[in-house]
Parts: sequence; C-alpha cells; structure tokens
Amino acid sequence: MEALVILAVAVVVGVIGSMLGIGGGLVLIPILTLFLDVPMKTAIGASLVSVIATSSAAQLVYVGRGLTHTRLGMTLEITTTMGALVGGLIAVHVSGRSLQVVFAAILVYAAFAMSSRRVDDAGFVPTGVLDTSYIDPRSNAAVAYGVRRLPWGMSASFVAGNLAGMLGVGGGLVQVPLMNLVMEMPLKAAFATSNFMIGVTAATSAALYFGRGLIDPHVAIPTALGVLVGAQLGPRLAGRMHSATLRWAFQLVMLVFAAQMIWKAVR
Amino acid sequence: MSDRSRRSAAETINLMVHRVLAVGLAISATLMIAGVAAGLAQDQSLPKVVLSVGAALRRGAQLQADGLLSLGLFALILTPFLRVTGSIMVFAKERDWRYVGITMLVLAIMIASLWLGQL
Repeated sequence: MEALVILAVAVVVGVIGSMLGIGGGLVLIPILTLFLDVPMKTAIGASLVSVIATSSAAQLVYVGRGLTHTRLGMTLEITTTMGALVGGLIAVHVSGRSLQVVFAAILVYAAFAMSSRRVDDAGFVPTGVLDTSYIDPRSNAAVAYGVRRLPWGMSASFVAGNLAGMLGVGGGLVQVPLMNLVMEMPLKAAFATSNFMIGVTAATSAALYFGRGLIDPHVAIPTALGVLVGAQLGPRLAGRMHSATLRWAFQLVMLVFAAQMIWKAVR
Repeated sequence: MSDRSRRSAAETINLMVHRVLAVGLAISATLMIAGVAAGLAQDQSLPKVVLSVGAALRRGAQLQADGLLSLGLFALILTPFLRVTGSIMVFAKERDWRYVGITMLVLAIMIASLWLGQL
C-alpha cells in the first residue's frame, strides 16, 4: 500500500511542479526521505527515473513546435553528461547525510531563485554562433537567435550536470537561467532545450545508480508514474489557481523542508 | 552549409527525436502500469530490486510484476540512449561530421556511466 501513497504524493507534486515550471525532484526527495522513510540515495534514484519520464513527455510537445535547439543541446550535453557521471560517482561514495546537507542548500537557493526570473522574449538576435529560429506559438512570428558565451555555457553546464547526478534534481534550475541570462537565448527556447538535455543527463546518472542497485522499483515506479500523470494535469488546472499564492506557498514549503533535512542530517 | 539544408536537417532530427520518445515512453509506461497492476493483484506489494536483463525478460514473459516493472525501467532509461544514437545517424546522413563527433562523444560518456555502474 505504501506504493499507492507514493503514487498519490507524486501526482500532487507533478501537478504543482508543472504549474510552477520546476522539476518535481526538489520537493519529492524531501517528502520521500522525511515522511516516508525512504533512504536518501533511493529517493535520488527514484527522482532521476521520474526526470527521464517527464523530460521525454514534455519533449513530445516542444519538439513538434521546433522550440528545442538540438545542436546547442548536444554541444552542452558533452559537459553536462560528464558532470552527471562525476556527480553520480560522488553520490554513490559519500554518505546519505552529506547529500542531504548539500540538497538543503540547493533547496534554499531554488526557493530564492524562483522569485527572480526574467520573462522577456524580445530583443534576441542571431550572433553567428549556432544561429537558429522558431515560430513563436503566441504571435506566430519567427524568432531568430544565436547564442553568446558558449565556453561559459559549457563550463556551467558541467556544474548543472554534476548537481543533477549527485542530487537527482533535473538541473534545469541552473540550465534555464544560464541559457537565458548568460547565453542570451529566448526563455521559451531555453526551457525547451534545457528540458531536452535533462532527460539525457538524468539517464546518464540513472545508468550508474542502476548498476549500483540504487534504483528501487517499489519507490521509483510509483514516483515516475505519478509525476508523469501530474505533469499532464498541471497545465490544464493552471488557469483555476492563483499562481502567485501557489508560488509563495511553495517557496515557504521548500525552506521548511531545507531546515528539516539539515536537522535530520546532523541530529 | 546553406540555411535551407540546415533547416531541413533540424527538421529530420526533430521528427526522429519525436518518434523515439513517443515509442519509448509508450512502451515503458505500458510495462510499468501492467507491472503495478500485476503486483497489486498478485500480492499487494511491489518488488524492491531490479532484476537482471535475462531474468526480467523471462519473468516479464510470464506477466510477473517484478519482470514487467524491471523491463519498464530498462525501456525508460534506454530511451535517451536511443535518442542520442538516432541523432548520430541523422547527423551522419546529413554529412555534418562535426555533430556526428559531438554526439558520439556524448553517447560514449553515457555508456561509460553505464559501465562504471557495473564495477
């Protein structure tokens, strides 16, 4: 019956996560470890599996619209998968407690980063580096753009991949602001390309976790199925809820979880 | 490479990615749902370990929960591997050797991770 509890929790997290545009792992991992007594590394493994599922599902929508910049994604994926591999190796060798402390720090960062997001799709231009274009779904106009500071992007992607592999969160948290603010690409394309990448990144570390016996079907399957269903429902429910209130409540929950995780780790 | 041929290459890749994702996700979701249903029907609980590939195929063919669930997980984790492999083939067809190289490097890192997990 525990599987049904995990399934229900994952559906709710999937709904809220997709409404706020954040991955489910940030909230799922604390819930699994704090309230359902799942070991930290098993929770990370389950989160990685659900990241692969949601990334694949969302890509079915994005790819059809041409928003994903596949060449850029593949280029950045060189360092992201390297980061995921190193992060995964770190995670299997250090204690679950240390991972909890690092996770709590990332939760605090994420709670604050959620308030400051640039929502601007105007003023992007081709730069001569990986130029591409897409048709904006709202205005139907073609948006042409290129990227800037590719070497910076590749270095920071290593960090994003590392966090993903070590903590089981998608890495979009680092990747989206990186592409939007540093590499100066439109937010919609940044979301789609980041989403494309996190599936590959998560599969890289999931393969490592899998070999080490850290993927537990009894936790991972209800988590993946639940988040997958929730993520499909979220956008359909989004119009009916006050998203600013929801965001504020979510940020508070993340900070409380961070405190609880640190308390549990040092106790 | 001209703008036009680059665009058509991108479209070919997008179509391929779309197919691999749709098939991979449908297969894994079906196996996982069937596995959960079988588990709840048989003994009300789900297994705690992933089976080896051989055992998963054997048990899955008998519609046992542990076999179906392990196969569902394999299909899900393999989907991104196939997507990257498919991109290599598309880039090769478009004779974009630079991206054949980049994508092969990504696949090599992914396989290294799979291999390091077995050590």
